Amino acid sequence: MSELVVRMGEIAATQHAGDVLVGLGLGSCIGLVIVDDRGPVAAMAHVVLPESNGNGAAGKFADTAIPQLIREVTAIGATRSRLSAVLVGGAQMFAAAGKLDVGNRNEQAVREGLRAHGIPVRAAVTGGNSGRTMRVYLERRSITCKQAGLEEIEIATWGSQVQMARAA
Amino acid sequence: MNLNDLQLDALREMSNIGSGNAATALASMLGQSVDLHVPTALALELADAVDAVGNGEDTVSAVIIGVFGDLDATVLLLFEPESASTLCSLLGVEGDPEMELSALGEIGNILGSSYVQAMGTMTSLHMEPYPPVAVSDMLGAIVASVLAVTAADTDLALLLDSRMTVDGTACKFGFLFVPGGAGVALLLDRLGLGEAA
Repeated sequence: MSELVVRMGEIAATQHAGDVLVGLGLGSCIGLVIVDDRGPVAAMAHVVLPESNGNGAAGKFADTAIPQLIREVTAIGATRSRLSAVLVGGAQMFAAAGKLDVGNRNEQAVREGLRAHGIPVRAAVTGGNSGRTMRVYLERRSITCKQAGLEEIEIATWGSQVQMARAA
Repeated sequence: MNLNDLQLDALREMSNIGSGNAATALASMLGQSVDLHVPTALALELADAVDAVGNGEDTVSAVIIGVFGDLDATVLLLFEPESASTLCSLLGVEGDPEMELSALGEIGNILGSSYVQAMGTMTSLHMEPYPPVAVSDMLGAIVASVLAVTAADTDLALLLDSRMTVDGTACKFGFLFVPGGAGVALLLDRLGLGEAA
């Protein structure tokens, strides 16, 4: 099993069953994952801010990360019409610190962007005041979320046998 | 924006004076001497910044102090849990997590104000601290959320990192000053090193 840690502003995509995509310590940032509803294909962006001003890595901003994620998952075998998204993060880490509330703006921008691209949100664990770690296990097609001092909990699965059987 | 060695040295020296002032203030608050380690000035890619500070998933206590005025910046103090408890017990606060965070906020207030004050005097820039906010959470979530605010215009994260130890205790903590994108240029300008950028 190899963990692919997606750091601030980065994007990673994989179709290897042994891989785990990891967004460590997401505070106001958003771990945005796009999966193919039927297959073991997933990509994660570590979104830092809502809007790009024309410079910086694509994964850093909600508006540039979404099209880039779509390009990367479809390039490794995902089907555009079967994509769905899971998001974790967007917390307000420092209540009352005023302008530091980027988390909420990030979530709005990510949700609007997904809507504009016609990608449904499968699950979301967002808001609040706590940091979270997100893991995407390709092998069991499971997505988890963990807060400091708490257990890792499963928040979404995709591409289950049931769904595949129905589709067939 | 890239920074050369001379510029990083100047920023480190400025940070040294600021944190020296802060350490003196803490020492008189605690009645105990405080050791200041040689500070570092790091100019990093955004993606590398959290790892440079510590393990992103570790739980730490942190005090965040926004700075406004001529310069937007954030002062961030990071304590491992044991160091936080030790420091609080020196102030007579023990066992109550809420009270501990509140005590750390006070310590942060004193450290942050004295740091910013020294820096303001040195650079003739007007800088004011916001009230401190104290939290206990994952290091990565805290550091990344601070950096996010300054990340709009640059992929470069500038961290001025000073570490302090309270003499005769195992209490160590990190003290970071994170200027916003425009703030870096302004500081360098005041230090007479703006042109070389």
